Amino acid sequence: MQDDLKNEQLARVNIYALISRILMNEVDEKLLELILKDENILSFFPEFKKWDKRKKMSNKDLIEKELNVDFTNLFLLHLIPYESFYIREDQQMETGGDNPVQALYNDFDFRVELDEARVMSADHIGVELEFMYKLCEAEYKALEDGEETIAAEIAEIQYNFLKNHLLEWAPMYLLNVKSEAGTAFYFDAADLALEFILSDFEYLTQLKDSEYSYKTIAGDK
Amino acid sequence: MDVKDLNELRGEFEQLQKREMEAASAEGSCATDEESREDYPDYMIAMYEEVMPPAKAGIYFSRWDLKAMAAEMDESFALDIRERMFKNYMQWVATPDDMQLVMTQFKKHIDIKCDIYKDYSKKYPSSKEIFDKKIKKAESTKKYLDKVFIEFFT
Repeated sequence: MQDDLKNEQLARVNIYALISRILMNEVDEKLLELILKDENILSFFPEFKKWDKRKKMSNKDLIEKELNVDFTNLFLLHLIPYESFYIREDQQMETGGDNPVQALYNDFDFRVELDEARVMSADHIGVELEFMYKLCEAEYKALEDGEETIAAEIAEIQYNFLKNHLLEWAPMYLLNVKSEAGTAFYFDAADLALEFILSDFEYLTQLKDSEYSYKTIAGDK
Repeated sequence: MDVKDLNELRGEFEQLQKREMEAASAEGSCATDEESREDYPDYMIAMYEEVMPPAKAGIYFSRWDLKAMAAEMDESFALDIRERMFKNYMQWVATPDDMQLVMTQFKKHIDIKCDIYKDYSKKYPSSKEIFDKKIKKAESTKKYLDKVFIEFFT
């Protein structure tokens, strides 16, 4: 695999992993330290980087007194991070086996442990982003093994999932997270997630238009 | 059946659906967005069923949005279940002028979100089709608000 392509694919894997983790559950001290110590990751959180409270509070206090409170408001109490609410005309959530996203996961053997993830349904934004993370990981492995045809098939699944699922609803939700976030951290997290899925869709569209020719895409840069 | 077969089948099905939809549109058998809206006996039910669902409006009116819209009219109520907050917001309406103020807030909010959608469409052109669908629903929702006003307040 060419270096540019490898770095691009690795970046996609890592960013999907990061945003799925942040939007799924509360931040813990380990994750916060990772973000703060890595300049590359911290650069994705520009408002958080210059946020006064971050500099004045210990990580423990920051999490307990600010971030957890904001997470509860944005993901549990006041906003709804589940696709079915935004897609169904009756504004209900589909938590059972009839959820079309669950059916899609079953097709690709992606198992969601709802209890462990602490979500009510498989169409939670964190879970959908984790699905994209797993697909990107599989695509990366296929490219490393020289299996471009398989990588292309996986890229097409990613394209369809973004187009038919995530992008149908996540922008509506994330825009509200941005406007209602009480902390610079979750403002930046929502902004990062939204900008990233839109830019990834640009990339995947370009790849699709090139008939999934990785060489063509790499050559364009 | 392996992944490749599944993907091919899925692709064929999506193409078939697309062809059928295009054929129906060409025949004029698809209802316009306005025609597809239901009629209701009560304006509050009409708005809750046709304006509040993100699937219909293209916009997500959250609890904080309702609170902010009310604050613009110097009204205030506590955060509660979304449906109850909507009813609290609408129960303030007593006259056609009151309703116009409420409609103005909804439309202003819709316009703000549509402008954001347009900005993202420009920045990420591949997403234009996705955002255009939402903008179309939002514009249809604004027209529906006018229809509700005429039907129940004139």
